[in-house]
Amino acid sequence: MASFTINDEKIEVKANPNTPLLWVVREHLKLTGTKFGCGVGQCGACMVHVDGSSTYSCMTPVSAVEGKQVTTIEGLSSQAEQALQKAWVSEEVPQCGYCQSGQIMRAADLLKTNPNPSRQDIITHMRTNICRCGTYNRIIKAIQRAAEEI
Amino acid sequence: MKNKSLVGSSTTRREFLQGASITFMVGATGIIGACSTNSDNALTELQLPAAANKEISPNAWVTISADDSITIMFAGTEMGQGSMTTLPLVLAEELDADWENVQVDIVSVHDPIYGNPIRYTYYGFPILYTAGSRTLEAYYPVMRQAGAQARKFLLDAVAVEWGVSVSTLKTELSQVIHIESGRALSYGQITALADVPESLPSVDESEYKSQDQFRYLGKDITRVDVPGKSDGSAQFGIDAQVPGMVYASVLRAPVEGENPLNVNDDMARAVDGVIDIMTLPYGVAVVGESVEATFSGKNALEVTWSTTSPFRTANQNQSLDAYEAHAKDLTFSTNSPLWQNVGDIEPAFSAADNVIEAVYRTDPAYHAQMEPMNATANVSDDGKSAEIWVSTQTQSLSIMSAADTLETSIDRITLHPMLIGGGYGRRGEYQAKYVDDALLISRAINKPVKVIWSREEDVKDGIFRPLAAQFMRAALDSEGKITALHQRVATPSVLSYYNVPRWELSERRDGISMNGAQTTRYDIPHIRAEHLIMDRHSRVAAWRGVGSSYTRFANESFIDELAHQQGADPLQFRIDLARNNPDGKEVLEEVGRMAEWSRPREGRSLGVALSDYGGASVAAGIAEVSVNEQTGHIQVHNYWMVIDAGFLVAPRNVNAQMEGNVIFGLSNALKEQITISDGMVDQSNFHDYQVMRIDEMPDIHVKALINTKSPSGVGELGLATTGAAVANAVFAATGARVRELPLTPDRVLAALLG
Repeated sequence: MASFTINDEKIEVKANPNTPLLWVVREHLKLTGTKFGCGVGQCGACMVHVDGSSTYSCMTPVSAVEGKQVTTIEGLSSQAEQALQKAWVSEEVPQCGYCQSGQIMRAADLLKTNPNPSRQDIITHMRTNICRCGTYNRIIKAIQRAAEEI
Repeated sequence: MKNKSLVGSSTTRREFLQGASITFMVGATGIIGACSTNSDNALTELQLPAAANKEISPNAWVTISADDSITIMFAGTEMGQGSMTTLPLVLAEELDADWENVQVDIVSVHDPIYGNPIRYTYYGFPILYTAGSRTLEAYYPVMRQAGAQARKFLLDAVAVEWGVSVSTLKTELSQVIHIESGRALSYGQITALADVPESLPSVDESEYKSQDQFRYLGKDITRVDVPGKSDGSAQFGIDAQVPGMVYASVLRAPVEGENPLNVNDDMARAVDGVIDIMTLPYGVAVVGESVEATFSGKNALEVTWSTTSPFRTANQNQSLDAYEAHAKDLTFSTNSPLWQNVGDIEPAFSAADNVIEAVYRTDPAYHAQMEPMNATANVSDDGKSAEIWVSTQTQSLSIMSAADTLETSIDRITLHPMLIGGGYGRRGEYQAKYVDDALLISRAINKPVKVIWSREEDVKDGIFRPLAAQFMRAALDSEGKITALHQRVATPSVLSYYNVPRWELSERRDGISMNGAQTTRYDIPHIRAEHLIMDRHSRVAAWRGVGSSYTRFANESFIDELAHQQGADPLQFRIDLARNNPDGKEVLEEVGRMAEWSRPREGRSLGVALSDYGGASVAAGIAEVSVNEQTGHIQVHNYWMVIDAGFLVAPRNVNAQMEGNVIFGLSNALKEQITISDGMVDQSNFHDYQVMRIDEMPDIHVKALINTKSPSGVGELGLATTGAAVANAVFAATGARVRELPLTPDRVLAALLG
């Protein structure tokens, strides 16, 4: 049994403590916005926030979030986070879209610590996340737009 | 925006009739979300009194409801290319519909009425298959006709009702308006007036809107799938959730063609949450209550595999050397019809003053689509019916192959087409192994089951762009003019593995393997391109750009070699060759202007390449690179690309596709490499199959020419310029010609050493 807070809701989950948080979120809790990409922390599709920081949920055993705050794409709510999601639509970032939850979670992390990132700041921060469709230019633009709006 | 029930409540009778579909509602804020519907919900609505929710379908493509909502069917699949918005938008344009009240349904049935009309008729009738960048091009006239026809039907109905002539009426934003009085009826209101007649009005093309009358086309309308992809609500195949569902994972043979001989599953059965373990012809399946149980169980299996597969001896360099020997041996043929034959090359080569030759070698490439292969299936107790939830590029082939697997008829397969987390050809094969996994396991355990491949399985069991060796030769006359061009492509037949039914109808003409080997933009009197069908040494597939990423690497590198051999400027050389092809000439000239081709630049060099795609579309690309001659590392600083793809229905989306093609192509050209040793794939995940990340991307400058020709494909356009443009730039920088793709540092160093 693991107990933690997800998207502001306290929950208990019956799962082996070694279970990657990814599968708990996606298949136990049915919050399928968080995606499985590689399972080894290489692509970033699985990114969630744990106590506010972007984290590879595929590499995080559920036991490691005991008592912590987990936020998924479905739980983004701050002004900055919503500005980011709106910018993602305005700049029409997604193509296939599969990596974009992870990209947004990663970008939200950046804006929290660096509300006015330079282009280079954005590129350096976002290198953890792969987009196979090649939406990188629009990811940069969307983060810049969101930063301007907040 | 996040309330999925809003969309769930929009289930219509049409969806019930079709079994299943995904509905996307376009609202004031764009799409509200997406969800798969099931027939139970629809049945409830069907029992409502008909008058309360009357709807009419003037044709198979559009349904108008009394509440003014309009449903438009989308016969393609959506993998990020935007067709799910573009095609319905074309219909809505001619219908003069209010886009805010349109919802889009993905067609989930295998019905020729929805088939791709210009291309995919391999089975005697058109099938639903989204590939080759032919969706908009193929359906553009169909959508226009369907929209215009529905509009005419509505006008006729109102004219009769009001006793006026159609010429006194106009339409605007889902309303029919009497011009003189301003009296109006909404399309929804008209559903109460009229039933669809036996024969629908025909519409002449001259009655279509002209481009200056377009309200939506040529503008940037938000794609219907984008909001859901920005808030996590978009539903991909892997997101399917079915009541009572269990999970499964399959341990596959390390080498294709091997079978499990002996299975020790004691440890696996002991894993908490493992329900069952079964042997399949090609592997061992672990069924469990959770994904993690199936993965842990699979890791605990001990399996002895057979060791008799002929693929055991497959080794990359050995295979490639053999392909190369066949390519260079002009007496060797595999009796395929010539891919391209213009004039007669033989006399030209006999009479040549000079013959230039070169060999180009390319490694296999992996799709690296972000969504690993997966499928969910629920097979009936008798084993002869099934529902499947799958990200597929082809409704038709998914249904047909599922029916094959269950030895049943296609009407007993219900498909739920899901959004696609990356296609690029990976989800277009006939017999999808991941769907077979789900079907076979669900049938055995009598439960719905979701199968998810790990990334490692996705790589190890990947289907790849094939290995290829190509022999290029050109005949030159005494003035240095190219009189003949010959491209011999030694590579396996992709179709004979990837899509066997199509191969059987192809007469050994493989449009996937040979795509891009034709030379159509240059004025060369004698041209031959031919396919030497090699034994495959891995599983093979169509890959983004299909064959063109390797065939164009060869022919556009070779054109560059010919230019340098003549001491000509490589861009001007191409422009001269394209003198009788205005589109090709124009993209070359424009990309040259954008890149300031003639401007000297410190420490950097340019290379150019031209590539058409799918017939009508053409692209030219220029790479600006620097090369570290100590390490062999190529840095691409800038990439310019200009395309001509006819009228731009969705300009912003066209630019997105162009940028994506540049990144996908450069990623492959610089880094991506699948290698095979003793029949096994050496790579396993993104650490050893690296794709381009955001910090490796050059500055990308794209331009789509504006014109009024019929729209043609952009989803793969220009990708094939990248390999040759970079290799040509490397030559310009260093004088070293790299003829192997990818252009890895070791190959650059080897070329530098000569």
